[in-house]
Amino acid sequence: MNATNKRVVIFFWTILWAAVTLHSPSAAQTSRGADVAVVVNSDTPIADLSLSEVRKVLLGERQYWNSKLPVVLLIRAPAARERDVVLRVIYQMSEAQFKQYWVAKIFRAEAAAPPRIVYSNDMQFELLTALPGAIAFVDSRNMRPGVKVLRVDGHVPGDKDYPLR
Amino acid sequence: MHRQLAVLVMMIFGANAAWAQSPRPLDQAEQIRILLERVQQLEKRVAELETKTPAAPVPAAEVSANVPAPQKPETAEAAPAPGPMHQHEPTESQATTRQLEARYPSLQIRGFGDVNFSTTDQRGATSGFNLGQLDLHLASALSHKVTYFGELTFNAQPTGYTVEVERSIIRYDYNDFFKLSFGRYHTPIGYWNTAFHHGAWLQTTISRPDMVRIGGTFIPVHFVGLLAEGNIPSGGAGLSYNVGVGNGRGSIISRPGDAGDNNNNRAWVANLYSRPTKLYGLQMGVSVYRDKITLPVVSPAGNEFREWISAAHIVWTKENPEFLAEFANVNHKNILTNAVTNNQAYYVQVGYRLPWLEKTLKPYYRFEHTHTPFSEQVFTNQDLVGSIVGLRYDITNYASFKSEYRNTKRLPTDPRVNGAFFQTDFTF
Repeated sequence: MNATNKRVVIFFWTILWAAVTLHSPSAAQTSRGADVAVVVNSDTPIADLSLSEVRKVLLGERQYWNSKLPVVLLIRAPAARERDVVLRVIYQMSEAQFKQYWVAKIFRAEAAAPPRIVYSNDMQFELLTALPGAIAFVDSRNMRPGVKVLRVDGHVPGDKDYPLR
Repeated sequence: MHRQLAVLVMMIFGANAAWAQSPRPLDQAEQIRILLERVQQLEKRVAELETKTPAAPVPAAEVSANVPAPQKPETAEAAPAPGPMHQHEPTESQATTRQLEARYPSLQIRGFGDVNFSTTDQRGATSGFNLGQLDLHLASALSHKVTYFGELTFNAQPTGYTVEVERSIIRYDYNDFFKLSFGRYHTPIGYWNTAFHHGAWLQTTISRPDMVRIGGTFIPVHFVGLLAEGNIPSGGAGLSYNVGVGNGRGSIISRPGDAGDNNNNRAWVANLYSRPTKLYGLQMGVSVYRDKITLPVVSPAGNEFREWISAAHIVWTKENPEFLAEFANVNHKNILTNAVTNNQAYYVQVGYRLPWLEKTLKPYYRFEHTHTPFSEQVFTNQDLVGSIVGLRYDITNYASFKSEYRNTKRLPTDPRVNGAFFQTDFTF
């Protein structure tokens, strides 16, 4: 291979690498914000969950807080940072995989409905206070009273080892 | 053959062109993100204004011009004590809240469909298109403890369409540890039969493995009866169970006796599986199934058999990589002669979601093997050694295009069959 050919090959490899890198969503810069708090209705009889327990709740494998109180899952609409954190850290899924997961979950008769989508913080807090058993994921800078913030793996938002950020 | 390939190539290019013309999803996502951030800022501003003690009114222009500066992050413990914040009058958002509160019954319908093209070098076989199953899935919460699930399929036949009730289940949830249901199920033996059901879009490949083929007989795909299921308190082991009693195989052994059992013996099934919390994505399980089969044709050797199925599976459900492996042994014992046969089947499937092109491509490979001995009296011969290699391309979040090459061999005396299979499948 002569020098010209080498240059051509390097040029095309560079173009290919740049195209793949820039096209990949994983290359997109994700803004790092505040911790995402796990928040429940204040009457929910729970104060502390491990990350794997939070995952079980979000995967629909745990559907009841106790035999009288079903879990009501609230998730922010696509493009909200809280949703990005939940998908990345807890589900470990892309947006497409998350949608497919819930279609399959209902199709397997393992759940009757997907998580309820909330479009704003206001709506999220209204549902959290109105629906017994509700659980939601809130940017810790936007906390409001009247709800309960759960410890995750023994940590609260702001702790160095808090896992949801 | 050349003309068919040309048509397929045109279809692929057509799909690519359509994809290329669609707007960039990342741009839309960015726009939505900006709008959501703006909504959040405005909400924060409203909250601030509502919590302020009555003060001189702020000119509207000033309010709309002000964008609050980012607040210092607060920890949960630093959150203010409950107070009279956000005491809205009945508003639009409260109406939305009411809309999101559960209502019963709440019927949801989802459909699945697929269109296929196949061509093989098997003598006597014809190539061409065929319409796959049109599948309707119904889910309806009847109360917060009771739910109905149904699945209907419309199947193309040479003389028209047949409609089949694939599943019809009413389930009462006591809690996560005990859920009791009645109806027609996919028998919880192994993994595939309860993971993918009829919608081809849900599974990576075009078709099911032969051992769990719809209409096949190796394992009883459907089951009519009752089923108890739930989680088992087991810490990190993440154990769950299914235990059921039902009619078992009918006179046509691929069917479950929907209209009534054909003997006075009930079948039972038990399935135990684990999803370890520290290995998110892993599932391992074992299943057993017991039944008495009464064949409609009485022969001198008898027509009644005891059936004992034992199965095991291990799967890694993430897509980088995806790994599915399942094994089943079907034991038949002739009640009259005590003659015993064992039939085995297994498959191993691997797939990998490629990181490029927005993770739309997923190549996969599956090897499957089925063995039935010559002395087997319940099954007709089902021997199979086969490999498939394919590529799944997700056109959108809810539709995909799959292409497969298959190499299969049935009996030792049969020739190997090579084939190309294409499918587009979707949910709606």
